[in-house]
Amino acid sequence: MSGAHKPGQQHNHSHEPAHGHGAHKAAPMVEEITDYEVLEIAVRELAIEHGLFTAEDHRKFTEWAESVGPAAGSRLVAKAWTDPAFKARLLKDGTEACKEVGIDWAEPTGFGTPSDYTNFRVLEDTPTLHHVIVCTLCSCYPRPLLGMSPEWYRSTNYRRRLVRWPREVLAEFGLILPPEVEIRIEDSNQKCRFMVMPERPQGTDNWSEQQLAAIVTRDCMIGVALPKPGRTADIHPVHKARRPVGSAAQHAGAAE
Amino acid sequence: MSAKRTIDVGPVALLETIQHQGKEWDVIAPRYGVTNPNPPWKTSLVGMCECLAVGGALPALERRNAEDALGDSIYRDVPAPERDLLALAHILLRRGLVTESDLAERMETVRSRLQAA
Repeated sequence: MSGAHKPGQQHNHSHEPAHGHGAHKAAPMVEEITDYEVLEIAVRELAIEHGLFTAEDHRKFTEWAESVGPAAGSRLVAKAWTDPAFKARLLKDGTEACKEVGIDWAEPTGFGTPSDYTNFRVLEDTPTLHHVIVCTLCSCYPRPLLGMSPEWYRSTNYRRRLVRWPREVLAEFGLILPPEVEIRIEDSNQKCRFMVMPERPQGTDNWSEQQLAAIVTRDCMIGVALPKPGRTADIHPVHKARRPVGSAAQHAGAAE
Repeated sequence: MSAKRTIDVGPVALLETIQHQGKEWDVIAPRYGVTNPNPPWKTSLVGMCECLAVGGALPALERRNAEDALGDSIYRDVPAPERDLLALAHILLRRGLVTESDLAERMETVRSRLQAA
């Protein structure tokens, strides 16, 4: 195609001002093809050709994976905080109560369940009890409510150490709980998924469900963070170094 | 039980070549000023793993066990999600669902196609 625009070429539209594109600048993109990208496509194409799955199934599951996030879980907790009757139903039968917010655990994707989970339970925190979820065996996670699990949730580091040293691992997330608070770790599996319902924080009286949902982040529902007013994103803490690296001159002096 | 099946963690020449190129997303994305934390193929990889699990070709637990074994050994130094991709290819090769020669040939075809644009 002789008229195709190639990366790096400059546009020269005489009518730019009329389109209002004058100030538009394309977002940066990786301008090279890596073998990882090539490998992913090659494996997928061969798998489809060998009949391991169909292109249609792959498109559906990929689309679902891209579309789910933790918003449904946040809404669920906010609704439970403001509606005692719903909270009671949710704690009694999480799977059934989820239908009230449009989540059907038997058919979360609408085209077949990606993992045969059939049972969902909500773990209620109290002033003296804090829950955290993990999957020590693999990566089971309440995806219809929380979306795709973060990388660290699937890491062997988290999975192996949380059960043995919960306080230490939580501290690494910046969550330091007083000794009088019992920590209970719930191990997810293929048939049963869990989600933490943290305590409603102080300072949120008269808040709407929408306001409350905004502070119930993914990490709060995993149990590695606590909700609080003003905290609406899962940003893990970066502590200032207690012994910062000095200047080159100091280093040179120290080495002498 | 299939989930108990162990994986041969011996290196696969084709995959070994890929892992030593230094082309992981967290290396190349900053070079182009790209801040998206994940490569564009990541969700496609997730979709592929789901399809393999649902269809029964590769149960999720068996894949995770093999990923752990491979991630603790030959792909220890590769970050996610590249490590997961290498592991998936490794598992499919070791289980005979795909052959190394077929995969190498298909990679050539795909690479030519992408570079032809």
